[in-house]
Amino acid sequence: MTVQKDPEQNETKHLHSFADFTDRRVLEIGCGEGRLTRRYAKSSAVTIGIDLDRNALRVATVDRPARLETKVHFVNAESENLPFQKATFDMAIFAWSF
Amino acid sequence: MVHALNEIRRVLVPDGFLIDLRPIVDQWRVEVISARETRETGRVTDLPLGLADDTAANQAMANAEAHGWFLREHEEFFSIHYAWDSASKMEEWIDEEWENFVSLDEETRRATRSAWALANADSQVRVKVKMLITRWRKRT
Repeated sequence: MTVQKDPEQNETKHLHSFADFTDRRVLEIGCGEGRLTRRYAKSSAVTIGIDLDRNALRVATVDRPARLETKVHFVNAESENLPFQKATFDMAIFAWSF
Repeated sequence: MVHALNEIRRVLVPDGFLIDLRPIVDQWRVEVISARETRETGRVTDLPLGLADDTAANQAMANAEAHGWFLREHEEFFSIHYAWDSASKMEEWIDEEWENFVSLDEETRRATRSAWALANADSQVRVKVKMLITRWRKRT
């Protein structure tokens, strides 16, 4: 079941027009398989993607480009109980999956 | 949901911000596209759960704003496409992946299959999904 999601990358364009990721510490809630994460994380200082779906996180980790290995991490966590200290991130992305 | 927003607020630095990025059900357009033309073949049908999800998300963000946790800075609607190589693959995806919030009626299925069958070999079937992006600034 092959699908192309946002081949024009409109989502990425809008995301970048709403936020400058340069050297930012980013938390992405609902990262799923990391499709969106891979499109912005390069310029961030560090990006943490969280999701409840362990299988999706496994795919996200496998598909993570080698150049992002040191700055992008995927964590199994729920948004109602974030395993991070106060004031850890400069920005958060609440990416509602569908 | 409101508790999650409070958690996000907690882990953000003062003056940090939240990007809320989500699809909005809105009878998304179904199209068959080729090098020659783009033809609308129908619309998806919004299901009650999809509409309820949007309402709940809007309400949660409104509550967060009312609590003084976040300030709405900027908001835009835009569209993204989901594209498939055939009408049947599009139907399969909607029936399996989006079954809870949108559906396809028989007329749209027939029109899409027909338009795809008559189009060039390079044609695709796509759905134009409405998106909402909002930047919220953390209030201290």
